[in-house]
Amino acid sequence: MLGKLALAGIKNRRRDYLVLLAGLTMSAAIFYMFANLATNRAFIKANAVVSQASLIFGFGAVLLILITVVYIMYANSFLLSMRQHDYGLFMMLGATRKRVGELVFLETLILGTIATAIGIVLGLLMSKFLVGFLLNMLGLHLAHLSAFYVPAIIATAVLYVGLFILASLFNLIRLTRTTVLKLLHSDEQANQPKVKPFRQLIQGTLGIIFLAIGYWALAAITTLQMTAIPLALVTITLGTYLLFRATILVIIRGLRRTAWAKKHLNGFLLGQLNFRVHNYTRMLTIVSLLFAMALGAITVGSGYHRQLPMMAKTIGTYTIAVHDKTPAEQKLMDQLHVAYTATYTQKRQGKAVYYNGDEIAKQPVEQQRYKKSGQPEAHLYTQSLKDFKKSGTQDMDFMALALGKIGAYTPKILSAEQFAKQTGKTVTVTTIRVKDLQQDLKPLKQLNKLENKRFAAPASMTVGSYQGYEMMNGFFGGLEFMGYFLGIAFLAMLASCLMFKILSGAPGDQRRYRMLYKVGVRQNLMRWGIAKEIGILFLIPGIMGVIDVLFGLQMFKPLMGAPMSPYLGIGSTFLIFIGLYVIYYLITLALYWRIVLPKTTTD
Amino acid sequence: MTTATTVVDVHGLEKTYGKANERQYKALKDINFSVAEGEFVGIMGASGSGKTTLLNMLSTLDTPTKGDVIVNGHDVTKMRGNQLADFRAQEVGFIFQDFNLLESLTAEENIGLPLALKGTASKIMDQAIHEVAETLSIADLLQKYPAELSGGQKQRVAAARAIVHHPSILMGDEPTGALDSTSARELLDLLTTINQKQAMSVLLVTHDPFSASFCQRILFIKDGQIGSELKRGSQDRAAFYQQILNELGTFNE
Ligand SMILES: Nc1ncnc2c1ncn2[C@@H]1O[C@H](COP(=O)(O)OP(=O)(O)OP(=O)(O)O)[C@@H](O)[C@H]1O
Ligand SMILES: [Mg+2]
Repeated sequence: MLGKLALAGIKNRRRDYLVLLAGLTMSAAIFYMFANLATNRAFIKANAVVSQASLIFGFGAVLLILITVVYIMYANSFLLSMRQHDYGLFMMLGATRKRVGELVFLETLILGTIATAIGIVLGLLMSKFLVGFLLNMLGLHLAHLSAFYVPAIIATAVLYVGLFILASLFNLIRLTRTTVLKLLHSDEQANQPKVKPFRQLIQGTLGIIFLAIGYWALAAITTLQMTAIPLALVTITLGTYLLFRATILVIIRGLRRTAWAKKHLNGFLLGQLNFRVHNYTRMLTIVSLLFAMALGAITVGSGYHRQLPMMAKTIGTYTIAVHDKTPAEQKLMDQLHVAYTATYTQKRQGKAVYYNGDEIAKQPVEQQRYKKSGQPEAHLYTQSLKDFKKSGTQDMDFMALALGKIGAYTPKILSAEQFAKQTGKTVTVTTIRVKDLQQDLKPLKQLNKLENKRFAAPASMTVGSYQGYEMMNGFFGGLEFMGYFLGIAFLAMLASCLMFKILSGAPGDQRRYRMLYKVGVRQNLMRWGIAKEIGILFLIPGIMGVIDVLFGLQMFKPLMGAPMSPYLGIGSTFLIFIGLYVIYYLITLALYWRIVLPKTTTD
Repeated sequence: MTTATTVVDVHGLEKTYGKANERQYKALKDINFSVAEGEFVGIMGASGSGKTTLLNMLSTLDTPTKGDVIVNGHDVTKMRGNQLADFRAQEVGFIFQDFNLLESLTAEENIGLPLALKGTASKIMDQAIHEVAETLSIADLLQKYPAELSGGQKQRVAAARAIVHHPSILMGDEPTGALDSTSARELLDLLTTINQKQAMSVLLVTHDPFSASFCQRILFIKDGQIGSELKRGSQDRAAFYQQILNELGTFNE
């Protein structure tokens, strides 16, 4: 009987349930996709050129789990807010707490399990189609990515069902602890937070101090090393929370006293915000941080990728080195816009490689000098043969011209006569530095492919800055992909967190707007009022998040040296991101309108 | 009384609930009556007789199936959308059984709402609020939130909100329904004062003879029709109360 009643209650609000289910499903799907990328060993082995990639994926996974926990928390409170009136009614009608408790537990768990199951299937499909699409758009190719991966399925199922069991337990405890009356009138309780000027002032000051420490920690990542990130995370969270607590209420109270507040629905808007914002402080803090992480991930990812060619120049002194060029290679080399080229004859014997001093004197080897700060100097330089013999032979780029299975041969420079007498395997190597890497990417790519096919050099060594560029391109492209992926995932979840929290308040608002309707408020005035109210709730964490990112990017300054900068071209990235955020706002608004606005003609 | 201008004029009003292809229920059948300016009229009837339905038609919260409703010269049945909202905001003051106060606003802000909707200047607004608060002796409650008020106090705040913008008619649907007898009595006295001092027409829906005895004229509704009418005339309230009880005795048979 009670089960039937509960089902009827759900049927009445099936649209709200659909929203909830859709949100949870999306979240599970996103998690599956990420888990698939992060745990798929074949995929990682094939692509993690640099071992750090898996570290980054691990870090991403931790963040994703954190936000998932928060997400389910808010989704659950939305669920509870929809149901508690019904539950209260059941209890008043004489249902035992135990029975209602069972009902709550089952309802939450069933909903969660359904969402998880659909989510995994959706995630599978998305892995198959969406990930490929995203990679294509970024011009990346990641090998060995299969959509179906059992450990990822298990990980997703365990995490989600586990979290839902926790949520069910939480609901159970919550319901059995509150009185029937409270459940029935849950949305009528007014809590009017008090403003205490002195305490508020201290909170505000502390908040700003914490924020300052956090931002400083991010900028000082080179000195603080690994402690910087946790330190910043804690202080920025605390700081944001305290700042929100201290300022938002005071601002609203201040506005309420103005004449502006007495026009149209402004007073009501402020009253609503005043009513809500206090309860929302924690969530606004979390959302602002997530916003910052999402935006940060995308900004850094795309920033790296965009600015990589700038850095490629400094990877090596020559763009590419061709050994024993073939006619096909010669053709490609003729297409290059050469800035400097040199051809040397090598004789390789034992662990040494011999060079002809005359050749080196005629075509000196270009070298890179570094400033004290570790930054490369803007121009290359060359040495006289005498100096080169002393120090130049230790140059990494020069040594890399002769690579074998045993590693680099030791370069030795001989006079022309000695060189002629020297025995060993003869190889001619041509180094080319192009004027602009971007301009010659195509022939370089083919040249590099040919070279790699002919000489299976040890994978960890590169010959020429082009090969370095290609490798970093893969790596940073992966980073960019991760940035977009995580960024969009975070955004999706944080926006739905906000959405659920706001929608949880909808049943209470329904009554309020009904009252306004009766008092004679125009429909479009109510629409605008709601748009403003929700807009402000979206805006607050948005602004804080942008500020966090602007400071947070400092962290990447040491990583993105001289020609690159984490701040370069962030405008377009910000725009795209904010566009997505606005779309979420509009969806929330539309849902809210639908739930809250009274029908114009009653029937 | 017959020479005074009419504030409410109802002609051949009908209301049928339910769509044409569904099970229909005729809640109001051919209702005709009028309320003169400054009159205090009561509407009585058993539960389910159609009192709330009638009041909803008059206050434009719902639309009639047939007939005319003219309030202060406006034909309510011809209005649409914003016109309806504006009409409610300007011409009608409403007191509800469950107060209908916004708990996120202070008493003062609640009372000021109809004026804010009109776009009244804040100085004039403050003045009007304090005036009406004096009349209803709630001046010391203005800064409180509804959650901090008793039922009687809430209803007085609601009454203040209903009259602050000087509507042409004040309507109440069982406004004393949720109050204890003392508070109910206070509210009814207040309504009488408002009615007499400000010459504001009052339309009071009630099923309680005591509340009804404060009116000058009472319309009895039975099964969606006006069955009979009682006038207080020059009798005192106690005598009128007795008359109502007698009438109910015969009316309900
Ligand atoms: N929205 C509706 N749809 C269908 N029928 C309705 C609707 N509202 C009211 N009714 C019916 O119309 C009739 C009159 O209802 P109304 O609410 O006007 O009664 P009332 O006189 O106010 O009663 P009470 O004293 O109990 O408040 C009732 O029989 C009721 O069932
Ligand atoms: Mg009624």
